[in-house]
Amino acid sequence: MATVPGPLIWEIVKKNNAFLVKQFGNDTAMVQFSKEPNNLYNVNSYKHSGLANKKTVTIQAGGKDLSIAIATTKTKKQNKPGSLYHRSVMKKEFCKMAKVVMNQVTDNHYRPDLTNSALARLSAVHRSLKVSKSGAKKRNRQALKVRN
Amino acid sequence: MAAVRPLVTVQPLEGHMATNALAGVPRPDVLKAPMRPDVVRFVHASLSRNSRQPCAVSKHAGHQTSAESCGVPAAPSPVSPASPAAEHTAPARVPSATCAAAAVCSPPTKTWRRWHRHVNVNIRRYATASALAASAVPSLVLARGHRIESVPEFLLVVSDTAEGVEKTASAIKILKQVGAVPDAEKARDSQGIRPGMRKMRNRGYIFRMGPLIVYGNIPMSSALNLVELASGDHIDRLVILTYHPYTLKLYGENPKLNSMFGTFDKSSEKKKGYVLLRSKMHNADLSMIINSDEVQLVVQPIKKDVKRHTLKRNPLKNLYTLLKLNPYLDKKRTQLPKEEAAAIKAAGPARYKTMISDSECLVFSISFTFIESTSDDHRMQVEPTESQCPVHVRRITLTTA
Repeated sequence: MATVPGPLIWEIVKKNNAFLVKQFGNDTAMVQFSKEPNNLYNVNSYKHSGLANKKTVTIQAGGKDLSIAIATTKTKKQNKPGSLYHRSVMKKEFCKMAKVVMNQVTDNHYRPDLTNSALARLSAVHRSLKVSKSGAKKRNRQALKVRN
Repeated sequence: MAAVRPLVTVQPLEGHMATNALAGVPRPDVLKAPMRPDVVRFVHASLSRNSRQPCAVSKHAGHQTSAESCGVPAAPSPVSPASPAAEHTAPARVPSATCAAAAVCSPPTKTWRRWHRHVNVNIRRYATASALAASAVPSLVLARGHRIESVPEFLLVVSDTAEGVEKTASAIKILKQVGAVPDAEKARDSQGIRPGMRKMRNRGYIFRMGPLIVYGNIPMSSALNLVELASGDHIDRLVILTYHPYTLKLYGENPKLNSMFGTFDKSSEKKKGYVLLRSKMHNADLSMIINSDEVQLVVQPIKKDVKRHTLKRNPLKNLYTLLKLNPYLDKKRTQLPKEEAAAIKAAGPARYKTMISDSECLVFSISFTFIESTSDDHRMQVEPTESQCPVHVRRITLTTA
């Protein structure tokens, strides 16, 4: 077959891959994350995996300012990583960007199961961009003065 | 396996003659060999031991001194010093062992340790085929950590102009054209100092592995060495899923791969009597199988109501369960006093009729007559003939599904 089925790839990849991050203990105590770009929750699971799925969604910071890049993979181009992604950079208000994400992910029936993840990630990325723009919160480390 | 083998385009390079046909090359069957990371891991671990050179501690180590020890101090003997036995219990003189704390150290290492491992030919070939197959899957190559975002196509085949490259600069140019530069750069930037003592043996630096370039004109056996393919070549890296990054294969080579490994139908020309192993599952796409029409037709509907185990409660203590088991008990509790009960029993069936006429109880019988059925509907209309009770019984419709 030209393409290897997702479940097969997942079986090979789930325990060990370059993006896997395991922290805080062993077995049940452990958290497993995945640093792939196409993983919306960054969680190491089949549903969210960017490696094992044919259709994935990526939401990342798009460059300078508050632009966010959203990319989806094209199903027909699995063998061509160079032209795999449908990439678009958005620089709009949050509501409009959310709508774009919804369109791409849900209304197209692309990956409706990733709706919540996509929106969550959009919020997270957007917020982090805002923070980086305005600087991290300056925390006043002085002790609170009690007024008489 | 798909009947039509997808074509792989050969990446043109600068200086390649436009006249040469760059038609797509059909994928060799090796690349559809089953992917067995467990087999690859096993074979790789074994094969990577085969280039080891024996080493051991010198057999004279620790012995090249003239010192002697007094031996192990003897326990105080219960025999009196005057007895003849005591006179002969002088402690023996024993040369010291290699280290002072002889009991603690392990025995010295020997050169005849089993350094090399033999692996069966078939498993070796299986592993190579597997690794090759995995190298053609972009997800797996990505998972191994290679930078393949700019690679135009997987299975990366490059025209044979690349073979004639003499200078590094032109080699880099080729990599650029093929989108392999990010990976090579990652390898170059990853130079690090090796942790551990091997630094002292001139293996001070470690690198990540970049792309593996396989030339078409080199005898295949040396090129597709599993240790290279599986890229665990750097010793300290016990890379578990050691998949071959990707090869830049040359035009003339793909037919070679076929001749080397054979197809699923034909046996290999180069390897005597070797036929590619088939995978256990012809179609490994589980979700597709499960959701396919053939399976769904036969499958029972999903059981959505979950039967949970209910805690058993003791009816002797718990009134509710008692009533569930014995519903008459409820009535028995609201029992008539004994005299009334006796009176009812005495009255017998006659009482029944008086009860009805008194309309104290709503006991009624309804008999039905069937009216015409509307033939199309399979419905039967039914009406009560006698209504003996104040309850109004509506027309009842019996429907068959």
